[in-house]
Amino acid sequence: MKRKDEEFLIQELLRSQLRRGEISRRQFLQNMIVAGMGLGGVSVLSSCGGTAPATPAAPAATEEAAAPAAATEEAVAAASGTRPLTPTFYQWIVDLHPGLKAVNESFADLNFQIAPVAGFDVARFVAEGKNKESTWDVYVGMTPFVEMAALIKADVIEPWDNYIPKDVLDDIIPSIREECTVNGKLYSWPFLLDIIVQGYNTSITSKAGLPDTPPADWDEYLANSKAVLDSGAARYGCTFDAHGWRSLCPITHSINTDIYYMLDGDASGVPLYDFTHDDAIAALEIMKQMLDLSSANALQPGTTDGGVNQTPDEVAFAAQQVAYYIKYQNAPLRMAGTWTDPTALRLGALPKAKGGAGSTVFWTTGACLFKWGQNKEKAAEYMKALTYDAQIWKDSIAGSSSGHPGQLPPFLSVNEALQKENADWFQKETWVPLVFEQLKVAKAIPNHAFGLQQFIIGQPIWEKYLKGEVSDPKVAMQEAKDAVAAEVKKAG
Amino acid sequence: MATTFPTTVARPRRRWHELKHSVNWLYLLPALLFFIGYQLYPLLQVLYISFTDYRYLRPDPPNFVGLENFSNALADPIFWTGLWRAAIFTAIFLPGVIFIPLFVAILVDRVQNATLSTLYRLILLIPAVIPGPMIFVLWRWLYDFEVGPINVILINYLHLFDYRNAPQWVGDSPLTLPAVAIMEWWWGLGYHTMFFLAGLAAIPKELFESARVDGANEWQMFWHVTLPRLRPIFLILVVLRFGSAMAVIDEFLIMGGFNRSMPTYTWTVYMWHLGFQLGDWPQGYAAAIGWIGAISMLVVVAALFYIFRNQD
Repeated sequence: MKRKDEEFLIQELLRSQLRRGEISRRQFLQNMIVAGMGLGGVSVLSSCGGTAPATPAAPAATEEAAAPAAATEEAVAAASGTRPLTPTFYQWIVDLHPGLKAVNESFADLNFQIAPVAGFDVARFVAEGKNKESTWDVYVGMTPFVEMAALIKADVIEPWDNYIPKDVLDDIIPSIREECTVNGKLYSWPFLLDIIVQGYNTSITSKAGLPDTPPADWDEYLANSKAVLDSGAARYGCTFDAHGWRSLCPITHSINTDIYYMLDGDASGVPLYDFTHDDAIAALEIMKQMLDLSSANALQPGTTDGGVNQTPDEVAFAAQQVAYYIKYQNAPLRMAGTWTDPTALRLGALPKAKGGAGSTVFWTTGACLFKWGQNKEKAAEYMKALTYDAQIWKDSIAGSSSGHPGQLPPFLSVNEALQKENADWFQKETWVPLVFEQLKVAKAIPNHAFGLQQFIIGQPIWEKYLKGEVSDPKVAMQEAKDAVAAEVKKAG
Repeated sequence: MATTFPTTVARPRRRWHELKHSVNWLYLLPALLFFIGYQLYPLLQVLYISFTDYRYLRPDPPNFVGLENFSNALADPIFWTGLWRAAIFTAIFLPGVIFIPLFVAILVDRVQNATLSTLYRLILLIPAVIPGPMIFVLWRWLYDFEVGPINVILINYLHLFDYRNAPQWVGDSPLTLPAVAIMEWWWGLGYHTMFFLAGLAAIPKELFESARVDGANEWQMFWHVTLPRLRPIFLILVVLRFGSAMAVIDEFLIMGGFNRSMPTYTWTVYMWHLGFQLGDWPQGYAAAIGWIGAISMLVVVAALFYIFRNQD
């Protein structure tokens, strides 16, 4: 082993011991000096929040180390923290994941708070960031394509790279790591994984005389839905969430994933969804056929979070009025939890388009590190504790008294451990391997500043076709594309 | 012979007068500070940024752009659609918020039994003490298409509709604005009734007695005695409620979200959408939209003051 590799390994070992509190800063420095890496130790200490003297970082020996350049006085003081670790969570995460409580209790003096972020609103975070301050240290609830670009642009958050242990970083599922990475840096510590899948209610499908297998393609999906309607087994054959990132986009991905384009003059370098792509138009036509088999209010807004959550599709599926349902897996799981017989739920991969890519959409809900927060090392420890907590994943996958969120861990070793252990409770959740299989082909929505808003702007326009106000889907989608382009250009 | 006051007498009286008024200013200071800090300063700040290209997410300082934001807003069809939707909502909302409480106030005012009168007033005020978010959750549930009690009664009990053609009370429906208006009428009924009850109490009873002696019936007394005397109350309520109706945002965000095809996507929702969600949050442009909307409202308020002016 080369000298550099040895020194790197020693440094990483000592660094993790320091983080875990097994050694003091004095002991760390002494050991580094013994290992012949004195100045490197000073540099690493400064990244760990120690008050390092103003010596430049050691060359060569620590060049390959992950130690950053000497931090400013503010950042050094902030990283070590003069207050307890203060994480803040989106309310729904606390509601759905009761295992958080036990992890919180293992951290002394944790100042756990609920975030003021209803409707994906991050204005408070941005306002504090502009004043170079932050009430919180870490926010758990960020979805990369929704808020991440805005938070990076406003200089509110910083990458996790200086704080996340390398073994944890390498443990992230590659496609998810890519989703959370901007310019080579990890801005979101992924925590909860959602994938758009299909669900169906076997108590309805069996009444309609349909087989207990998920439809493999869209033709079969629509035919089965019609059969449910015609048989009178349920009010509606199928339903979907009208928001584009939950329906139009994943259906498009099932046909083709290469449906993004670079807008002329857009300096972001991140592509947008191409509404006028032939496969996007084909997806819209599938949605129109689904709408004919769905409830009259399927296109209406939800009741919370600015209309984004508690949507009509969830109400219909929970009330067992509809057979087939496409959404992220935690929606059918949670809604089926209200049934007399929740075991009637089946999940499966999103139907493919014949000859299509067979993909879908995934996203993660993760944690961002506030640049002007404190306790950054501790925040990384906290996130690591959450990530590898077995009870959180058991409650999520198997359900608990709080519900059945069904969100999956975005880390390789956690999933491998679950599969290897293959506990009784895990064996009952037959949907997990099906959903994971989809992850291999799923694609995330690019992290454009308009990643979410492009669908919010386009929705009322493409819905003109769904509602019959416009007969040609190409016209509706062109208008949607033009509207989004105009907003992006207006934004500069 | 001219009489002159000795100046030695006038000076102490004027000093005392000045001193008394400067003490008044001292008492006004807290309210003045609050007004300056929480109303005047934000207004001036918003006025300033409306003349700049200020984008909240960008670290660059704003640049002065003159009237560019205002001219863009005036040419923005989304703004005009939003303003029109707010005007429609106000036109639906205002008559109900005036005449329903007036009718209820007249009924309650006729109650002779003091205990019963107090009981009626208490019942009317119950909605007024319920917090806004709870009101919105309650009515959102009432209006739910699938499980809301209104549609359940209409479909399952009265059999007037089925689950395909039942009324869509909120969302992309022409019933949305009236539905929100009904919620607002209910919520404010007690509060506005108290306004009219106070106004009715101030009308001298002798006027009614004289009118009866002159042979006026109840309807004539209402038109020629009650209504004119309530003119100041009308002015206060119409102006206050016009302003709040045109500026509604919370209810519209809950009932419709950010979908621009919804009748609830008004100019205030658009302003918020621009200022806190779209792109780099172009708050300079959002501020210009706010000012144009506010000035439009002020013009109408001035007209209302003229219409409801004291004609005695």
